[in-house]
Amino acid sequence: MKKECIAMLLAGGQGSRLYVLTGDMAKPAVPFGGKYRIIDFPLSNCTNSGIDTVGVLTQYRPLELNSYIGSGQPWDLDGSTGGVHILPPYQGSKGGTWYKGTANAIYQNIGFIDLYDPDYVVILSGDHIYKMDYSLMVARHKEAGAACTISVMEVPWAEAPRFGIMSVDEQDMVTEFAEKPKEPKSNLASMGIYVFSWKKLRQYLTEDEANPASENDFGKNVIPAMLGNGERMAAYRFAGYWKDVGTLESLWDANMDMLSPESGLDLRDESWPVYARSVNAPPTFVGHSAHLSHSAINRGSVIQGVVENSVLSPGAVVGEGARVSYSVLLPGTVVEPGAVVEYAILGEGCRIGRNCRVGGTPEATAPAPWGLTVLAPGCQVAEGRKVAAGIMLDRNGEEVSK
Amino acid sequence: MKGLHGIIFSYEERGDLRELAEIRSASSIPFGGRYRAIDFALSNLVNAGVTDVGVVLHGRYQSILDHLGTGKVWDLSRKRGGLRVLPPFNSRDDWGILPFRGKMEALAGVRSYLANIRQDYVALMDGDLVVNLPLAEIYESHVRSGADITAVCGNDSFQTADGTYFEFSPEGRITDVLFNLQRPRGYRGLDVYILSTKLLLELVDDCAAKDQYSWRRDVLQARKDQLRLCSYIWSGFAAQIRSVQEYYDRSMQLLDPAIRADLFTPTRPIRAKGADKASTYVGTDGCCMDALVAEGCHIEGTVENSVLFPGVVVEAGAVVRNCVLFKETVVRCGASLAYVIADKDVEILPNRTLMGHATYPLVLAKGSVV
Repeated sequence: MKKECIAMLLAGGQGSRLYVLTGDMAKPAVPFGGKYRIIDFPLSNCTNSGIDTVGVLTQYRPLELNSYIGSGQPWDLDGSTGGVHILPPYQGSKGGTWYKGTANAIYQNIGFIDLYDPDYVVILSGDHIYKMDYSLMVARHKEAGAACTISVMEVPWAEAPRFGIMSVDEQDMVTEFAEKPKEPKSNLASMGIYVFSWKKLRQYLTEDEANPASENDFGKNVIPAMLGNGERMAAYRFAGYWKDVGTLESLWDANMDMLSPESGLDLRDESWPVYARSVNAPPTFVGHSAHLSHSAINRGSVIQGVVENSVLSPGAVVGEGARVSYSVLLPGTVVEPGAVVEYAILGEGCRIGRNCRVGGTPEATAPAPWGLTVLAPGCQVAEGRKVAAGIMLDRNGEEVSK
Repeated sequence: MKGLHGIIFSYEERGDLRELAEIRSASSIPFGGRYRAIDFALSNLVNAGVTDVGVVLHGRYQSILDHLGTGKVWDLSRKRGGLRVLPPFNSRDDWGILPFRGKMEALAGVRSYLANIRQDYVALMDGDLVVNLPLAEIYESHVRSGADITAVCGNDSFQTADGTYFEFSPEGRITDVLFNLQRPRGYRGLDVYILSTKLLLELVDDCAAKDQYSWRRDVLQARKDQLRLCSYIWSGFAAQIRSVQEYYDRSMQLLDPAIRADLFTPTRPIRAKGADKASTYVGTDGCCMDALVAEGCHIEGTVENSVLFPGVVVEAGAVVRNCVLFKETVVRCGASLAYVIADKDVEILPNRTLMGHATYPLVLAKGSVV
């Protein structure tokens, strides 16, 4: 079945900088925003952009992600021609290997892409929170007659050294690419979203694979090789909200951004819905002694305590006299009566015993170094225990280092 | 084959549902913050392992058809069996205009469907019943008891519009079937019956031959001495959505944790269509207490003792007390509502005040702007 354009979503990364949150699941499967998983964003973008065929490349602990994606029905990606396909590494007649890098992951699935004989392939990451119309980017790609189009956004100059930086000419064609430059020549950062003409990409992937010195990575190898050979490389400027949630702090930030649509992350905008596989639970009950302020709640929760500036996922329980502030509670967490949770991310199914104190505000912690408090999924904090700011606990409640 | 088949009757209103039933049948009335009444019957059946369900429709069925879809939400979109929608049975010239006469007539109208039921037993249910029955257990007890028909009864004689009431012997055998009672007595029937497919077909044919159309009069009442009618008493929550008052009172009961625990017992989940909405947001000055709140709401004002469906907006300074607000209701700043049931897409303009009473809740029709 010929398709003009298909998407390949890189979802195999471990997400090691999310530490205990990705102990049992790949980063794209991590819950976000009280309802979603990170992967809902690229999947919803695909469906909203009219891309109905998506390959999801998985490698690290894929089970949670596999069952979450299922048939692809929540994202309307269960059509009879196309739909969402999970693509783990596989064995061929000459054996098989793990995905060695982002480019190698696509290389190993050339056969899958060829099934659809696409003109264009969109390469996506499974760890970004953003709403983007890929069809506009593909249109830019076609218009520019490019071999590759790279989505870029302006970042503050001071932060530019953290990104892959693109220099462009007056037509916004890429002239130079520098990975994490000390002295950036531009403030256009690559968002790790690419559109390739498939014939070109196929050729470069094959050459890249044949080069034993290559790390088989898009940013490090394929893009520089294409630039070096003088291929037409277009930049596509993106201006909306975009966040790489690869670290605990950025994941927390993005959750807080969701509470304030002024941040640019407006999930209530129904013209660009973000779909999710939702849990089946009754509506949330907000009790008599509850106080909610600048917070988000989803289904199946029971709130009896105080919740401020926080994002609560389905099935969260906050007992009477408990207080949750500036925190992100992942599904099924229980905060028992009298407990206080501040500046924390609580993994799925955590239980905070009565009168515990988890986390602390930057002000109260000063002058000692402050950090978010993070609990692994399933962590049980016994009654009365104090878990200081910046501490991370594993599922057995034992401290681990970040 | 062994097993249970479900038939749900989705009729027009039976009591006084006012504007709520203007555009829909009682079985598609929104209830409990995210459900439609029929979600309960469907979920009860599916949770008892039922794979094939027929839904008998009558008038105003656009809303219910839209809600049911292919039955996917209840896992009833199957290659074989699954959900079967049975369109209006009153096929004389102006169907839907003629009043509905009775279940037996409805069943006679879908005779060929009944003849193809694969399962040995059938559960008959009404789409306006809000309950979470252990139907698998009721089915087992029916088979074990050797009864011809098992009627599920509430453990009360609560007055519901057009209710059926049963009296039974100490062994649980039904001795009398009563309806149109001024003062209800006996046990309130939930209009859930289990019987064998074979008996159902015999009764349908027999009634058709005699132009009998009423299940409770021509079958239960008339044949109570020939048939062995037994009862199963359900002591949990069971609401029949048949009048605005009953709708309102039952909705408010959901604010009681014990009732929610009974109706939403996690072992028998009630499934409903999802709304692709973000989480509910409560603002800095928002105040929300004793409320059942679905997703996608935006609360900047005060909400107390109320049930909010998805996408309700309560702007700053607005006050909502003792209300049930359906999907996408917007309460503008400074407006004040008490004892109001607002249907979908209602908008209350700034500073308006609307007050009903616990004994006469105001109903605002779908899409109205106050």
